[in-house]
Amino acid sequence: MRLILTSLFFICLFGCNKSQTEDVINFDEEASQESGGTLTNAMIGEPNNLIAMIAGDGASSAIAGQIFNSLLKYDENLEFEGDLAESWEVSKDYKTIRFNLKTKKKWSDDHPITCKDVLFTWKAVTHPDTRTPYGSDYQLVSSAECVNDYQFIAKYNEPYAPALETWASLHILPEHLLKNEDINNTYFSLNPVGSNYYALDSWVTGQQLKLKANPNAIHGKPLIDNKVSRIIPDLSSQFMELIAGNIDLMSINPIQYSRVFPNRSELNNKINLYKEMGNGYTYFGFNLNKKPFDDINIRKAISYAIDRQEIIDGVLLGLGEEITSPYKPGTYWENKNIKKLSFNPQKAKELLEKSGYHLNNNIYEKDGIPLSFEILTNQNKQREMTAVLIQRRLQDIGIDVSIRVIEWASFVNRFIKTGEFQAVVLGWSLSLDPDQYSIWHSSQQGPGQFNFIGYSNKRVDDLLEKGRQELNKEKRKAIYDEFSAILYEDQPIVYLYAGYGLSAIHKKIKGVKKLSPPAGIYHNDYEWFVPTKFRRNEMSL
Amino acid sequence: MLIGISLISFFIMHLAPGDITSNESAFNPKASEESRQKLREMYNLDKPIIVQYGLWLKRIAKLDFGHSFASHQRPVLWQEKDKNGNIKPGLIQKALPITLLINLLTIFLIFSISIVLGTIAAIRKNKIPDRLITLFVFVGFAIPGFWLALLLMYSLGVSNQILPISGLHSIGYEQMSYVTQFIDMLKHLILPVFISCLSGLAGISLYVRNGMIEILNQDFIKTARAKGLYEKKVIFVHTLKNALLPLITILGLSIPGLIGGSVIAESIFAIPGMGKLFYDAVLMRDFPVVMGILTIGSILTLLGNLIADLSYAWADPRIRRGLSK
Repeated sequence: MRLILTSLFFICLFGCNKSQTEDVINFDEEASQESGGTLTNAMIGEPNNLIAMIAGDGASSAIAGQIFNSLLKYDENLEFEGDLAESWEVSKDYKTIRFNLKTKKKWSDDHPITCKDVLFTWKAVTHPDTRTPYGSDYQLVSSAECVNDYQFIAKYNEPYAPALETWASLHILPEHLLKNEDINNTYFSLNPVGSNYYALDSWVTGQQLKLKANPNAIHGKPLIDNKVSRIIPDLSSQFMELIAGNIDLMSINPIQYSRVFPNRSELNNKINLYKEMGNGYTYFGFNLNKKPFDDINIRKAISYAIDRQEIIDGVLLGLGEEITSPYKPGTYWENKNIKKLSFNPQKAKELLEKSGYHLNNNIYEKDGIPLSFEILTNQNKQREMTAVLIQRRLQDIGIDVSIRVIEWASFVNRFIKTGEFQAVVLGWSLSLDPDQYSIWHSSQQGPGQFNFIGYSNKRVDDLLEKGRQELNKEKRKAIYDEFSAILYEDQPIVYLYAGYGLSAIHKKIKGVKKLSPPAGIYHNDYEWFVPTKFRRNEMSL
Repeated sequence: MLIGISLISFFIMHLAPGDITSNESAFNPKASEESRQKLREMYNLDKPIIVQYGLWLKRIAKLDFGHSFASHQRPVLWQEKDKNGNIKPGLIQKALPITLLINLLTIFLIFSISIVLGTIAAIRKNKIPDRLITLFVFVGFAIPGFWLALLLMYSLGVSNQILPISGLHSIGYEQMSYVTQFIDMLKHLILPVFISCLSGLAGISLYVRNGMIEILNQDFIKTARAKGLYEKKVIFVHTLKNALLPLITILGLSIPGLIGGSVIAESIFAIPGMGKLFYDAVLMRDFPVVMGILTIGSILTLLGNLIADLSYAWADPRIRRGLSK
């Protein structure tokens, strides 16, 4: 009997799926701006530490970014604007930067924000005992001082062009709460006091963080009063919470974007999809210290043999772009004059033959050694699929390729640091400052440094050094245009794709810009609002 | 024994390539190699493994499980107060009660359902109920938990919004009354507990079934029946009691399992338990956390064995007498 009941229960469970009680609210209705309400989102991991310079993880920076301000920030077109700073001046010799702070601003505990806080933060990030991986940029500041309560001066020995960018990514911390604390291990990291739109309200370990609007926010109060970030490690669970209406936004994957949503009209009635350029690119990199990759013809041949559009269509379902320079497409630093190498297997074969290779049993070989190598990548579905597509294309022209997928820590330590690899499928982020010194300068090849593919080009070294010292935007652009062009000509890596960032946001959240600005759709989230009629039954939040 | 276990786990852990510094910022161009080397020195990761083990042993002798290497630096085991009286909660302290609650519920349900199912199957041996029960427990055993979990989440949480999908509490939990808090938590626990029960039923219920059948065939049962005892009494007093004895061993052996959580179930249901804590710590190479959990796990395993032996002797006079001889 029990069993019959149980089986009936199961049949009902999977049979009654379609009996949906679809709410008839029309979320498309326009509404006028009002404040209040709650926005709920989900994170896959729990923040470690809300002092971003100590934390290394994305979740921490995402939350800390809502609590703290830097001296500068990027506006929606990715130009600098003042954050805590009202204005800033760079001296003629580019060696001194003077920041004038906004006056009469307060921390969320009502203590005034002054230059002392900035100086304290700089001292903290450069202090040898601070456990931060980000200290080196700030150690370039030879001296820093406060002229008065609202003027901060940073002096450099050499002009350092990315300096402004570094001041846009350093969260200023309150001196009065931290001066007697060990910054590595302070309760403040779990219970911070900041100056940005939100302040921490509560934190239930492993479950959720709640932020509330900061009444002292230096740019004024945001429209949404509360933000809840739930910690849901599994992305399919997150997606179910999204369609059940329990979370209001999440980033989704290409399958959800172009397969699930178009087929489910009831989802489109309540959820808007957004597509914007993502923040990283995926590449196929060679170990240039190993044969045969020291030969530019081989690299070019491989580049011609890979069908990038096929990878974008297959792996990203078309939701990505080819790139030709390590800068975000459509931004100022992208070199738009580079001509793309197109997919051309015939040309690839010609180049291989030019390098002395000839076909033997459908595999190219030279001096009896067949052209074969191993592609290494880490456990990342998109990269694995990319490697398989590359393998197939190279097989077609007569290069024998195998694939090996390895767990991240082993990947970095056993293969990347030791240089024991032939080719990799990996990604870099598309940074906002054009400086790529640590990735491409020939001096950066030591173990653990980022030019692990072993790229070295005299002209590129010169350009990278010059680019770091040039603060004039037009001159800088010319330098990095030349750098991008040489890099593309040399093909030390094959750029594969830059994927779009895809977001799903519930329609009850109003004020989201339909056409996302270069800085991304979340740029103006302080202007987002939830009309009262669409709010969830909130228990006296 | 404990030193042996900890020594082996310590070395195996350090054999895996990499350490905390290679994970937190390995591919961030803004993080320089010098800063990472500095971190390694701060955590003593640059010293030989044997020295690191010595340092660890020295701390553990004082029951100090240390602090996580991850940047939050939380204590591994128990909360700590800083000089201002703020409390930093311990990682295991936070995760353990949740896992314990789920596992205790699961084990309780597995045992009670299995005993019922096993008894029914044994009485109706080789008849339809027996066959159906066997089929059911094996399907439950064989079905991939994460898949069933997702299906149930979809049908009960999304299509028919009867149960919450993930997490432990609803939003606004703090404002609820104790009764609603309790009901809210129970609702969140139904699916995870159901999923973890399902795979455990097969083993125990078949164990009960076979034990019962074996005892039902023995002479003293024939005697009992010949005496004219009610069938109920024969089954529940004479047979079941004897068939349950071996379960005590199994129960004892499942004590260390109490603190281990399932990584998959915890990730899917967003439950901050021990499984996820351990798994993340291994991926991050967060040695103090890994070692802390392993040490507690091995202590519990040893304890579990001891308790199983003792309670077996307590329950079964034959063994007790064998001991006292």
